[in-house]
Amino acid sequence: MKTTTKRFFTALAAGALLVGMTGCSTPAQDNQATAPQENASASGEKEVLIGGIGPLTGDYANYGTAARNGAQIAVDEINAAGGVNGMKLVLNYQDSAGDPDSAVAAYGKLIDQGMDVSLGGVLSGETASIVAAAKEDGLLVLTPSASADAAITGNDSAFRVCFTDSSQGTASANYIADNQLATEVAVFYQSDIDYSVGLYRAFEAQCQASNITIKEVQTFTKDTSTDFSTQINAIKDSGAKLVFIPIYAAEASTFLTQAAGKLPEGTVYFGCDGLDGILGKVSDVSVAENVMLLTPFAADDPAENVQSFVKAYKQANGDATPDQFAADGYDAIYAIKAAIEKSGVTDPSAADFNSKLVAAMPEITVDGVTGTMTWTAEGETVKDAKAMIIHDGAAVLYTK
Amino acid sequence: MSKLRIRNLLNKNGLTLAALVIAYAVVGILVYTNHASRQMSNMLISISAYIVMAVSLNLVVGLLGELSLGHAGFMSVGLFSGCLLSIALSGGLPLALRLPLSMLVGGLVAAVFGFIIGLPALRLKGDYLAIVTLACGEIIKNLITNLKFTGGALGLNTGSIYSNTKDLLPFAFVLVLITVIVMMNLKSSRYGRAIMAIRDNRIAAESTGINVTYFKLIVFMIAAFFAGAAGCLYGHSFANVKPATFDYNMSIEILVIVVLGGMGSVRGSIIAAILLQMLPEVLRDFSDFRMLAYSVLLIAIMLLNASPRFAELKGRISLPNLFRFLTRKPSRKEASADE
Amino acid sequence: MTHFIQTLISSLSLGSIYALIALGYTMVYGIAKMLNFAHGDIIMVGAYTVIVAAFQLGMPPLVAALMSIVVCVLLGVLIERLAYKPLRQAPPLSVLITAIGVSYLLQNLALLLFGSEQKAFPTLITLPELHLGAVVIDGITLVTLAATAVIMVGLTLFINKTRVGKALRAVSEDKEAAELMGISTNKTITLTFAIGSALAAVASIFYGATYIYIKPTTGAMPGIKAFTAAVFGGIGSIPGAMLGGILLGMIEQFSKTYISTLWSDAIVFGVLVLILVVKPTGLLGRQIKEKV
Repeated sequence: MKTTTKRFFTALAAGALLVGMTGCSTPAQDNQATAPQENASASGEKEVLIGGIGPLTGDYANYGTAARNGAQIAVDEINAAGGVNGMKLVLNYQDSAGDPDSAVAAYGKLIDQGMDVSLGGVLSGETASIVAAAKEDGLLVLTPSASADAAITGNDSAFRVCFTDSSQGTASANYIADNQLATEVAVFYQSDIDYSVGLYRAFEAQCQASNITIKEVQTFTKDTSTDFSTQINAIKDSGAKLVFIPIYAAEASTFLTQAAGKLPEGTVYFGCDGLDGILGKVSDVSVAENVMLLTPFAADDPAENVQSFVKAYKQANGDATPDQFAADGYDAIYAIKAAIEKSGVTDPSAADFNSKLVAAMPEITVDGVTGTMTWTAEGETVKDAKAMIIHDGAAVLYTK
Repeated sequence: MSKLRIRNLLNKNGLTLAALVIAYAVVGILVYTNHASRQMSNMLISISAYIVMAVSLNLVVGLLGELSLGHAGFMSVGLFSGCLLSIALSGGLPLALRLPLSMLVGGLVAAVFGFIIGLPALRLKGDYLAIVTLACGEIIKNLITNLKFTGGALGLNTGSIYSNTKDLLPFAFVLVLITVIVMMNLKSSRYGRAIMAIRDNRIAAESTGINVTYFKLIVFMIAAFFAGAAGCLYGHSFANVKPATFDYNMSIEILVIVVLGGMGSVRGSIIAAILLQMLPEVLRDFSDFRMLAYSVLLIAIMLLNASPRFAELKGRISLPNLFRFLTRKPSRKEASADE
Repeated sequence: MTHFIQTLISSLSLGSIYALIALGYTMVYGIAKMLNFAHGDIIMVGAYTVIVAAFQLGMPPLVAALMSIVVCVLLGVLIERLAYKPLRQAPPLSVLITAIGVSYLLQNLALLLFGSEQKAFPTLITLPELHLGAVVIDGITLVTLAATAVIMVGLTLFINKTRVGKALRAVSEDKEAAELMGISTNKTITLTFAIGSALAAVASIFYGATYIYIKPTTGAMPGIKAFTAAVFGGIGSIPGAMLGGILLGMIEQFSKTYISTLWSDAIVFGVLVLILVVKPTGLLGRQIKEKV
C-alpha cells in the first residue's frame, strides 16, 4: 500500500513537472529586447504593460499595497486623459509577499506576459534581485521605493523615484545642525530592516562631522515591535530634546503613542520619508505633536497636485491617507509617461523602445507629488526635500 | 546479495533517480533552447534548493524522528559563509570552480553549526527540541543581522556573484543528485538502520551497542551540511540576501514539505517540494486571493491525505497498477474459461 | 531603583499577555496532544472583533469585549470541528501542518476583510495613571495584571476542584481510561478549545488596549512567543504556562533595559536554550520515564 502510494505520487509529480514546465512555456523569444507578444487591446489601440512587484500579502503588505494603489491612480488619470503618444497604460502588480524568491518568479511571469516597463520592486532587497534579473532584458526599471544604496547598482537601465537611504540620513544630520535644532540627540531605529539601518548609519557618520552628540541609541526588531517602554525610558534618561526616528509610520505610531506623556513635552521627533502619512495612522493625532519630517512628500502639503492626489487616493481606497510608498508609486507612473513623451516612442513592440526610454530618463523633468524631479544617468533622482512639522494635528512647513 | 541490491535500486530508488534525471533533462532542454517560460525558469534554482532542504530535513525529522524548526538557520549560515567566500574569489576563479568550492565551504560551516545545535538534541526531544532548534535559528538570524561583515540588516549584496538560471542549473542538478543519492544510500545502509533504531527506541538501540550520541550528531551535521550548500546556491541566484528571510517561518515552510511528502521518504520530499513551491506561482491568477487559496489548499491536502478513503483511491489508481492493468496476461481463470 | 520597578511592571504586563496565550497552547496540547499553531491568530481575530463591534456596530466597550470572547470561542470550536477533528487518528505532525494552514487562512482572510493598514483599537476604559514616587503605572497595566491573576486562580480552581476540571485532567492523563469512565473525549476537547480561545480573546483585549495597533499579522509574534513560553514552562502544565509566560516577558524586558536592545532576541532565546538543556522537560514539565 505504502509503496503504491509513493509511486503514484512520483508519477503525479513527474507529470505535473513536465506539464507545468511545458504548459507554461511560451514560444521562443529570440529577440529578448522586444519581448511583448501582444501590445494591442481589442480596439486596436496600443498598450504599454507596466509591471510592478511588491508585498501585497504578509508582514509588509501595507507598503506594496500603497505603492500599487498610488500607481493605479496615476494610470487611471493618464488613460482618462487619452493615454500617452496614442498608447494606453496597463498596470499589472504581482505579489512578492516580501520574499525575493517570489519576486524573481513574479518578474518572470510579467516578462512572459510581455511587460514593457518594470516598476522593479517595492522593498530594496527584492528590487536588487529584480534589477539583476532584468539586466538581460534591457527594459526600463523604475522602482518607486527601493531606497537601499545598492538596490539599483549593476544595471544601467535601473532608476528610482525615492532618495537613497544614506542621502536621507546625511541630509537629516545636516538639517538638524544647520537649523540648530539640537546638539544632543537620541536615536530610535529598527535594527533588522535596511531602510532604518541605512539611514541611521549615514546619520551617525554625519553627526560626527556636524558636531552633534548622539546621547542614546535604542533599537527594536520586527519581532519586538509592540512594547517600546524600556527604550522610551532610556531615551527619557538621556535627556535628549530631539529623537531621530528613521522608521516607518506604522512602527512610529506605536512609538509615539507609547512615548506620549512619558517623554518631556516639547521633545522633537525627527524622521524622514518613512513617516509620511503618520497623521492617518496614529489613533490620536495629539501624540504626533512636534513630529518633524524631512521628506519630499507630505499628505498635508497644500500644493494643488498633492491635494488632488490625496483626494483621489482617499476616494479609491476607503479613506486611507497616502504615504510615501503611494506617492512614489504615483510619481513613478508620471515619470514613465514623461519618458515616453520625451523619447517619442509610439510602439512598445519596436526594437528600440527600451533603449529610447532609458536614454530619455536623464533628460526628463517631472513635476510630481514628491517634488520636481530629474534623474542622473546612474539612476538617482534629484529633488528637494521639505521640512514639515506637525502642530495641532496638521503638518505645516517648518519655519524657524 | 549484490544482485538483490541492484534489483532493489532499480525498483524503488532507481525509479526516483531516473525520474529526477529525466525531469532535469527536460527542464534543461527547455531552458537552454529558450522554450521555458521565464516565470518557471526563474524558479528552478529555488525549487532545487528547497528539494535539498527538504530531503536533508527529512533525515532529521523522518529518519531520526526529531522535530527541527531551525533548518533555515543552517541554510542562512551556509549562504552567508559560502557567498562571502564566493564574493572574495569572484575576481579570480570562474563560476565552475568557485561555486562548488563555496558550496562546500558553506556546507562545512553549516555542519559546524549543526554540531553545536545537535548538542542539546542529545538531552532534549519532541517539542522541547523543536523549540530549542527554533530558538537557535532565531539566534543565528539575530547574530547575522548584527554582524558588520555580513552586511547586517542591509543584507549581503551578492550582485557581483549573481548568476542566472542558465548558469546555475547544472550545479543545482548536481547538488540535488548528490543529496538524493547520499540520503537514499544512508537510509538503506547500516547507518540508516542504526538511526532508525534510535528513532524507534533509543534505549533498546543503545543497549545493542549503537552509539546514540555519535549518530545523533552525525545526522544533524549531515542535514546542516546539505542545507548550507543549498543556501550557498540559493544566494547566488539573488543580488541581495537578508538574514531576516531565514526565520522560523521558512523552517516551518520546509517542515510542511517534509510532512506532506511523507516521513523518511526521499522521493516524497522531492515531489512535495516541487508542488508546494509551484503552487503559489500557479495561483498568481487569483491575484488578491492567492495566499487565501494556498492556505485552503494546504488544509484540504492534509485532510485528504489523512482520510482513509482517499488513501484507498490513491492505491487503486497507482501507476504500477495501471501498468499491470494494461499489460496483464490473461489469468488462468480466464484462460480456463476460454477452453 | 525606579528603573528596575518600571521594567518589572512592564515585563509583568507583557508576560501576562504571553501567559494568557500560552495557557491556550498548553491546555490544547495537554488534552488533544497537538500544537495549535493557529492559536496566535485567534488573538488577531479577537482584536478585530472589538474594533468592528465598537466602531462599526457602535457597541459600548464592554459589550464589544464580550462579543470578542464569544466570536473567538465559536471560531476556536469551529476550527477544531472542521480542521482538526478529521485528523484525530493522524500523526501529530500532520495536525501541526493543518494548524499552520489554518493560521495562514485566518491571516489572509483578515488581510482581505480589513486591508493591510493597521487599525487602532478603541479605548475601552479610561483609567488614571498610578504614581508611586517616580514610578508611573498605566491604568490598563494594572487591569491586565489584576485580571490575569484572577483568571489564573480561577482556572486553577476550575481544573482542580470541579467535576469538569477533573474530566479534563482525566482525558489528559489517559484518553482510553477516561472514555471507559464515561467521559466524552470529543466534548472535552471541544471544551478545551473553547476555554483556550476565550483566554486568547481576553489576551487580545489587553493586547489591543496596551499596544493599540492591530494588523492581520498581529497574532503571529505573540503566538510564537507564547508557544515558546508554554514549552519553557513545560508543555501540558498549566502552572508551567503561567510561569513560562511571565518569565519570558521578564527576560525580554530586562535584557532590553540592562543589556542591549540589539541583542535582546538572541538573549531571550539563548536563556531559553540554556534552561532547557539543564531542565529538558521545561520548568514544571513532568519527567518522562523512558522504557524499552
